[in-house]
Amino acid sequence: MKRADLIFDRPPDLAATAPAERRGLNRDEVRLLVSAPGGHTHAQFRDLADFLQPGDLLVVNHSTTLPASLPAAARLGVGDFTLNLSTNFGHGLWVAEPRLSSAQPGPLPITAGERFTAAGLDARFIRPYPGLERLWFVSIPGDVSTAMGQFGSPIRYGYVSESYPLDYYQTIFARVPGSAEMPSAARPFTRRVLDSLSDTGVEIAGIVLHTGVSSLEVEAEEVESHPLCPEPYIVPAATAQAVNTARREGRRVIAVGTTAVRALESAWDGRQVRAASGFTRLYIHPRRGVFTVDGLISGLHDPVTSHLAMLYAIAGQDMIRSAYAEAVHEGYLWHEFGDSHLILADQRANQQYYLPVRNPVHAVSTMVA
Amino acid sequence: MSASTHPSTPVALITGASRGLGETLAHFLAGQGYNLVITARRADLLDQTARALAAYGGQVMALPGDVADADHRGKLAGAAQSFGRLDLLLNNASSLGPTPLLALADYPLDQLAQVYAVNVIAPVGLVQATLPLLRAADGLVVNISSDAAVGGYSTWGGYGSSKAALDLISLTLANELKASGVAVASVDPGDLRTDMHREAFPGEDLSNLPTPDATLPFWAWLLGQERASISGGRYQAQAERWEVPS
Repeated sequence: MKRADLIFDRPPDLAATAPAERRGLNRDEVRLLVSAPGGHTHAQFRDLADFLQPGDLLVVNHSTTLPASLPAAARLGVGDFTLNLSTNFGHGLWVAEPRLSSAQPGPLPITAGERFTAAGLDARFIRPYPGLERLWFVSIPGDVSTAMGQFGSPIRYGYVSESYPLDYYQTIFARVPGSAEMPSAARPFTRRVLDSLSDTGVEIAGIVLHTGVSSLEVEAEEVESHPLCPEPYIVPAATAQAVNTARREGRRVIAVGTTAVRALESAWDGRQVRAASGFTRLYIHPRRGVFTVDGLISGLHDPVTSHLAMLYAIAGQDMIRSAYAEAVHEGYLWHEFGDSHLILADQRANQQYYLPVRNPVHAVSTMVA
Repeated sequence: MSASTHPSTPVALITGASRGLGETLAHFLAGQGYNLVITARRADLLDQTARALAAYGGQVMALPGDVADADHRGKLAGAAQSFGRLDLLLNNASSLGPTPLLALADYPLDQLAQVYAVNVIAPVGLVQATLPLLRAADGLVVNISSDAAVGGYSTWGGYGSSKAALDLISLTLANELKASGVAVASVDPGDLRTDMHREAFPGEDLSNLPTPDATLPFWAWLLGQERASISGGRYQAQAERWEVPS
């Protein structure tokens, strides 16, 4: 797929600059664009259940957003800077994005081995992240969790005009701390939305995928060669079973967020979803395909991002492009505090992969990858 | 006493550390605060690497020599001993054998023995020489493997069979050392733009291959796992996902 396939026009004023609650709305009163093979419908998120069926399975992400943006300082000649932590690899090793400020990216004049302080902790730049040189491996041996609690704030970019407390960055499903940025697709879910889904007979299962910092525009001409960062994920056995059962029974599986798609597809073994736990940098694009979901609830994604390639893989490029044209025309709002999009693919498209299991297949346990 | 000389500072021993993957990992570990014992046959290149590693502020002992030489392995173990601990033994040095690569029917047997001496015997020898230190630190042994270990590719029989042997050694050691707290893993780094790859494919354009840095996300993951959970695994450093064996 070519980079040009991911380009569309979106006026800059269609960015949500503040949470719904600060725009006079409840969380679930953001708009909902429903895109199905038959066409597009405009609604409000609180009416989500009206567009789902009894037996539909929603897969949600239980990851909690961290206050991952830390004040930092080094003798770089640029004064204080911002360190956005992206992914925790353990033993004090992180991938992080050093920025001049929330609004201003780098690059900063960093050399490998350089020392700095982040939230008062001694730290060191180790190496740039391969292929994504704005990100660095950094070593922070101290108590990062406590330092984040004291000095950190949610990661924020220039289009969000002021800082909001961490609560604004948590979803109703948040249970396991670890995401650098809010898994924002679930932000509009409220108690009353969950009640209406329950009344409709919609099931919910969970995964954990801790998001890293947002990826930037795809620069490569061939979309598939764009490098992605690995993210920690867990697909519990119960969720794997719920997905497999729903799919075999012809019920729809709808991911809440691209993170849920990534986790389920990473746990796909070629026949079914298995329980899994690890780090994934699986890149989902049309050539790779999608095997585990029939639909997606998501925010609206920027032009020329890898997320769009995933949306194309789920529902086809034509449907997504027409949906985005509709969203632009109708003035939908982009980004983490923006409007929502329910994408329902042609259900037959991906069901073909679920064949009846004749002989149980035993996975090779020591050969991992 | 500075932090870098404190006995709580982790220590890694890396073979084949002057170039390629070994050099890249030496930088990665030095950046994370490891003290290092590094070795390679080329003294001049090893010295360059050691000088560059000094920028991270940790201690580096660079001992040029051949890992196939038992005396040299003893010196490497002694260097780790002088640091007081060994957390990571990275058996990375490998011999490709005669290049251009030869079919087994034509392979000089003394050269086959030499490939095995470097790729099979030396890693076992280094484990034996450093085992008391590894035990004391609940250490990790990583043996660098190759897709040639399972490929059966023509002319790769010498190198590939040595790596297949090393894979089974890794798995066997993992089982044998489980009770002692020492973990052993096998890692296939995938095709990389290194001098070794250039020797194997003389004259070919390798500019599309990733540099050894491309494997750093994998190493970050591997070193972050509970040692016991990864022991006995064989991992592909350029895979789409990494999971501990179930």
